[in-house]
Amino acid sequence: MFGIQDAIRAVTEKFPTSLYVSTCGFITRDLYNTADRPENFYLVGSMGMAAPVGLGVALARPGRHVVVLDGDGSFAMNPGALPMIAEHSPDLVHVVLDNGVHESTGGQRPVRIADPAGMALAAGYSAAYAVASAEELAAVRPEPGVPSLLHITCAPRGAHAGKRVEWTPQQLVERFRAAAAA
Amino acid sequence: MAQAQTSTAPPPASAAGRENAAETLVQAFVDHGFTHFTGVPCSLLKGVFRVLESGAGPAEGVTYLPAPREDSALGVAAGLSAAGARPAVLMQNSGLGYSLNVLTSLNLIYDLHVPLIVSWRGHDGNDAVEHDIIGRELLNLLDVFGLRHTVFDPNEPHASVERCLAAAEDGRATPVLIVKEGI
Repeated sequence: MFGIQDAIRAVTEKFPTSLYVSTCGFITRDLYNTADRPENFYLVGSMGMAAPVGLGVALARPGRHVVVLDGDGSFAMNPGALPMIAEHSPDLVHVVLDNGVHESTGGQRPVRIADPAGMALAAGYSAAYAVASAEELAAVRPEPGVPSLLHITCAPRGAHAGKRVEWTPQQLVERFRAAAAA
Repeated sequence: MAQAQTSTAPPPASAAGRENAAETLVQAFVDHGFTHFTGVPCSLLKGVFRVLESGAGPAEGVTYLPAPREDSALGVAAGLSAAGARPAVLMQNSGLGYSLNVLTSLNLIYDLHVPLIVSWRGHDGNDAVEHDIIGRELLNLLDVFGLRHTVFDPNEPHASVERCLAAAEDGRATPVLIVKEGI
């Protein structure tokens, strides 16, 4: 099965120049340890807020493509954000890394959303894709200029994530703001 | 009655006066470079939302984004601010509870200080019961988290916004404009 860390790496290689917002916990840590760049805005808290933050970034920088990295648990925490995002039609790919567990807190069972892609479409996203392998992910070509959801079914890490983000929150903002303006 | 009919003084709290206070409030934020407004409505802020939804007058050229919840409004505002825009968030004081996690684990620790325009239901202990506790404790709650609050004076709308923003001019604190009377 597609491992979550391989999925994160594959997404960063698929969208190498985008602005990223990652949800707190292991996903932020994996993004940081896989491909740290000024274009990454790591959330260290505020679970459920990666997608709203991504919308804000996209609206502030309409010329840039934005990737949101959510988990299945954090996605389930804030489905109310979906119609708000859809209304403004940002150039954004909302990735849901669905490993089926709250892995950052010890592997507990999250609330299951049966069909994240269907929910995004019902909320008004322009497109939604569901993939479960590196090959399927590679074949997805999200339409540019509109919001789409990319549901990736993947396997848990089965191990601890890498180290925590070492930049201070203020350093993250400073470098992200400069990178977003470039 | 006869005296009231012959009086030339304008009524103190006319609908037109409140509208002007709301327009001036929005204009004052625009004058300070604010570009985006998001939040969840309150009846005390009806006039402000009317101005923002109209997209006209002081709201011409600014973006208004209705939010499903106050915490999501703060999240969107944090993203806007991190990417270089100038957002402000509007909410009823009841929404401050939902907002606390985002304030303490995002806005405040990243120094993404977004002004909050917060209505104060229950400020006099004589409102609907659901506002009693948050109304009684609003200022204490703001003080606990170091949120610098200024009460909006509808007779001095522009100056009220100036005072509110000046209180957080160092960029290290979140300013809160508290609206007690409907505007």
